[in-house]
Amino acid sequence: MKQQIFSRVGWAVLFVFVVFIGDRAGGWLCQQIVKGSGFRYSRMYTDKAKCDILLLGNSRGLGFYQPTIEEITGKKTFNLSYNGMTMDLGKVLVEDYLERYPAPERLVIDVTMCDRSSPEILASFVPYIADSDRLKGLIRDTSYNVAAATSVSHLYRYNSEIFQRALYYSNGKSDNEWLLDRAMSTSTLKHTENQKYRIDARFIKELKATIEYAESKGTEVELVMTPYYPPFAKVVRGLDIFHEDIERGTGRRVRDYSYAIEDPSCFGDFQHLNKKGSKLYMQQLKADGVL
Amino acid sequence: MLLCLLGSYFFYGWWDWRFMTLILFSTILDYSIGLKLTDTEAPKTRKRLLLSSVIINLGILGFFKYFNFFIDSFREMLLTVGVEASMSELNIILPVGISFYTFQSMSYTIDLYRKKIPVERDFLRFATYISFFPQLVAGPIVRAKDFLPQLQRTITFDWNRFNSGLSLVLWGFFKKVVVADSLAPFVDLCFEAPETFSSIHLMLGVIFYSFQIYCDFSGYSDIAIGLARILGFDFPENFKTPYFSKNFSEFWTRWHITLSSWLRDYLYISLGGNRHGTFFTYRNLMITMLLGGLWHGASWVFVFWGFLHGMYLVVQRLIEQPFRSLMTKLRVPTILSAAMSIAVVYFFTCFAWIFFRAPDFEIASTVITRIASLEGFHPSTIISKFMALKGILLIGVLLIIELTNFRIHYIPLLVRKPAFRLAAFALILWAIAFFGTFGANAFIYFQF
Repeated sequence: MKQQIFSRVGWAVLFVFVVFIGDRAGGWLCQQIVKGSGFRYSRMYTDKAKCDILLLGNSRGLGFYQPTIEEITGKKTFNLSYNGMTMDLGKVLVEDYLERYPAPERLVIDVTMCDRSSPEILASFVPYIADSDRLKGLIRDTSYNVAAATSVSHLYRYNSEIFQRALYYSNGKSDNEWLLDRAMSTSTLKHTENQKYRIDARFIKELKATIEYAESKGTEVELVMTPYYPPFAKVVRGLDIFHEDIERGTGRRVRDYSYAIEDPSCFGDFQHLNKKGSKLYMQQLKADGVL
Repeated sequence: MLLCLLGSYFFYGWWDWRFMTLILFSTILDYSIGLKLTDTEAPKTRKRLLLSSVIINLGILGFFKYFNFFIDSFREMLLTVGVEASMSELNIILPVGISFYTFQSMSYTIDLYRKKIPVERDFLRFATYISFFPQLVAGPIVRAKDFLPQLQRTITFDWNRFNSGLSLVLWGFFKKVVVADSLAPFVDLCFEAPETFSSIHLMLGVIFYSFQIYCDFSGYSDIAIGLARILGFDFPENFKTPYFSKNFSEFWTRWHITLSSWLRDYLYISLGGNRHGTFFTYRNLMITMLLGGLWHGASWVFVFWGFLHGMYLVVQRLIEQPFRSLMTKLRVPTILSAAMSIAVVYFFTCFAWIFFRAPDFEIASTVITRIASLEGFHPSTIISKFMALKGILLIGVLLIIELTNFRIHYIPLLVRKPAFRLAAFALILWAIAFFGTFGANAFIYFQF
């Protein structure tokens, strides 16, 4: 009986040990994958992202098509944009970038990222908390449970879409050239009337702080609104006062390109330019002196 | 036993203590009716007692679950004939688990009436049967004949039961937290605004939903069965790889088994089953499935889901024999015809799931028409590709595990070996940490 109990306790101890070691080993392996990846944030946190033009936005900011910019300006670019990117996260990334690299000439921000907060998106950046105290602090402040769980399990740090993307680019390939490459269908436009843009004063403050921090480092900041499919832009509520609110809150000019491109074949969907549209948009930004 | 009862009431009261009165009322009602049923042999009195149990139980269930639905449906019906009636709906909260414990309680009275089980004179034991916490909120629906005798035996700690229960609990968590909750965001988007997605995206959304609901519900059942096993009790199996069913009758012996067997034993057979010819068999099947649909929720989409499954069962009975003959005549290999049958059953099950998941018929029809349009039928039109890839990967893992365990149940045998058990538990924990989705994703069947 005694022997049986010892055997069971032994198995239990071994179990805890195996789980712990496996978790740490798995976490370490994932960390190596993230560090060696060509995904933009991996490059940024491993000092491989020096640029002349820094770009920031949400999924619409991915329309800052880097190959075209580099071709027409002859300058190096780095895009910090991500699907659903929020302004508080954007601020942390810009500050981290400017702390690690020489100040780029210009920072271009698509201000439509100021319309939402998303603790989920923030939490998905946990693979990089080991590289950034700012990021760690922000995640701890917005998602305490996530921050606590990442201390218990290192594998959990890599339980996010960000890690999947890092894994996808783990062959060292860069994601600079990725962009929507499809043309949208206009048949579903009638279903988009309930969309609404709502701006929060908190996001404007974050944006203002980001601008001031970049300017303090000697980087010139340009604020833009990337094109929407115009018939969509017309029905979305709140969009018309969006840039006015931001101009008032930051004291900076916002260049509004919401209606700049009309051809539906330039859009992947109502809110996102495809490759063809992005090329046109980049030309426009160049002509206007934004780039 | 007293500890189990108090623990179960505490568990239920934690959600909303006010609804404890409901579960107590049902318990006292069926306990008292049970005693009276045993004390009398007069058929009329027995029938009256049974009817009072059924009417009161279904009355409570009907009020809390269906009152607003019937008011709303009645108002709409009047509107179609041009009468505008003002009937106000009540702000009723659906008590968690009411559909489950009501059916459990009713089965006791019906079995007593049919003289299939002896009466339970110990109130505490009966109350524990009705409220036992692992299965209280979402099943499995446990019959009195299976559970009450277990409450009479002395429970001692059994290491093997503990291990086997724990492995079920962990597997249930894997299915819920890793598979079901990872698929949920993709599915939710599809059914929120189906008009904005391509055909292939929506098709994937429906497939994902079929696995989401399976893993969500069977995951809960596994956790409940595992917890009960750890505590020394045996619950019946509730799911047996349903998507490998070759026909719809088989599907219903593999999906939510305790509900389908309840409906078969207490509704279908009570209606006459297949004893009165083809027409009545079909009628009884349709009634059973329609009410089975309605049991899931107070909405016409659930009724239609039940209707579809009723139709499937009827059509299957009509074409099963000619189909078999055709397969034999064409000399189609058994394995191929089995694979075809599984695919056909899965396809139609998914079609019915669209109605089960959609909040209304408009959304369901948008999903179906957009899928059928084949507009944008190319993988590049799938939005959230990483979510989609993760979903496909997880479904693949689940299918491999279930497929290899389908004929020979080797996993329970392997789990008996300490080294394999350790490895399996560790793997599941790592998978939960690495793939799990954590947040406020309640079990789907809690709402029923």
